[in-house]
Amino acid sequence: MKKIVLLCAAGMSTSLLVNRMREAARAEGLDCTIDAFPTSQAVIHGRDADVVLIGPQVKFELRKVQGLLSCPVDVIDMLSYGTLNGKKVLEQAKKLMEENDGTQ
Amino acid sequence: MEPNELISFQIISAVGTARSYYIEAVQVAKTGDFKHAGQLMEEGDEFFLEGHQAHFELIQQEAGGDSVVMNLLLTHAEDQLMSAEAFKIIANEFIDLYKTIQSKK
Repeated sequence: MKKIVLLCAAGMSTSLLVNRMREAARAEGLDCTIDAFPTSQAVIHGRDADVVLIGPQVKFELRKVQGLLSCPVDVIDMLSYGTLNGKKVLEQAKKLMEENDGTQ
Repeated sequence: MEPNELISFQIISAVGTARSYYIEAVQVAKTGDFKHAGQLMEEGDEFFLEGHQAHFELIQQEAGGDSVVMNLLLTHAEDQLMSAEAFKIIANEFIDLYKTIQSKK
């Protein structure tokens, strides 16, 4: 099972996106957990994650979070975030995991 | 999807990105790269305007007699908008300060 972690300032707006992503994952039968947390909890929830995506509002913390974790970390595409497009964000997460699997 | 939910997300996404650029601009100014800091502020402004425009559409809707339903998500969006707006002012002041410090070195 894959673990997808989303991080944003408070984890509030991103929780709505999580619901959309879960729906998308269920629709395509992807075995994964998806949860949102504030960036301050990046290490607690991200250390055993397969991929971490951060909200566009905390883009400035990307390098810091990347430095803290060993899994791929990227910023959620702003347009996908703004349109609450769970499917698109899930695809972004899958792509990052695939790229990472390829390098290992 | 509620139409309000989508517009709230547009605002959060756009002004949140703007705020992030403003913060980056201050961080870059700290290293003395004022040209890059200026570029980041301009990029931030583009996103801020986008979010502001989305919010303005809601204001126009309400002014047109079609009342906007307030909920926690829209409150959060407006909160982010205000935070970005305030941070822009502070970021510009900080960049000026770093410039002054640099010139005294």
